Amino acid sequence: MTLPRGVAQPTELIKRLNALQPFLSGVVNLRYTVDNDWSGDPALFFWITLSDEAARQAVLPQNSRRIMEFITQRLDPIGQWDLIPYFNFRSQSEQATLKEEVFG
Amino acid sequence: MAYHDDLIQHAVFLSELNLPHEPKQVDLRRAVSAAYYGFFHLLTTEAAQNWKHQGQRDRFARMFDHGRMKTCSSRVSSRPLPVDPAALPVATDMKLVADSFIKLQQARHTADYDNSKVWSRTQVWEMIAQTQDAMAAWSNIREEEIAQDYLLDLMGSR
Repeated sequence: MTLPRGVAQPTELIKRLNALQPFLSGVVNLRYTVDNDWSGDPALFFWITLSDEAARQAVLPQNSRRIMEFITQRLDPIGQWDLIPYFNFRSQSEQATLKEEVFG
Repeated sequence: MAYHDDLIQHAVFLSELNLPHEPKQVDLRRAVSAAYYGFFHLLTTEAAQNWKHQGQRDRFARMFDHGRMKTCSSRVSSRPLPVDPAALPVATDMKLVADSFIKLQQARHTADYDNSKVWSRTQVWEMIAQTQDAMAAWSNIREEEIAQDYLLDLMGSR
């Protein structure tokens, strides 16, 4: 069984992920983990903290779509790294309360 | 109102419970699950509409398997978009449908089974918005050949 490129070449992947900076407007922090998804497929999970303004319910869909498209186009997780991308968003004030480590 | 629309409305209702105060995790988790099942039932109901015998359509809709639906959606999602500008809008909507199905299914699995995961309203609202976008995209393309092929392939037919 062939390892996904994102798992076999982690240094290269990290380099490309770091190149996503500077973050798009509205993004306060962006972290990621490589893991299997529920069915065992290799995946790249993004944990994205947004400013409270960018996470407002009225503008959240446009902002999240813009960020997901940017990352998908720049990184091409499936085509280039054999990893299914999954995106998780949270507001800055929510993260201040929840303090979940994966969001940083 | 169709069952899948009810499920989306229910997801929104659950996600907004207790506003402006902190949400309960149980409400957020059930909201994610409801959003996924809204989309799941939309697709399986659409596929069942193609079954000739109306009395058997509910049974037909129960034949779908989450794993096989993911495999099919992954195949569609990883296809490059066409160069032909005329084919691009339908292919883009098809890709959005397949991408969203994969992501919502993962979210639903986490929401239903992973008690270590903490959800926030923003996460859930984003999932609901993604479901609504995917449903709108499906509505645009549902009669297209590529969409009808997708419905058939969701059964794991190839």
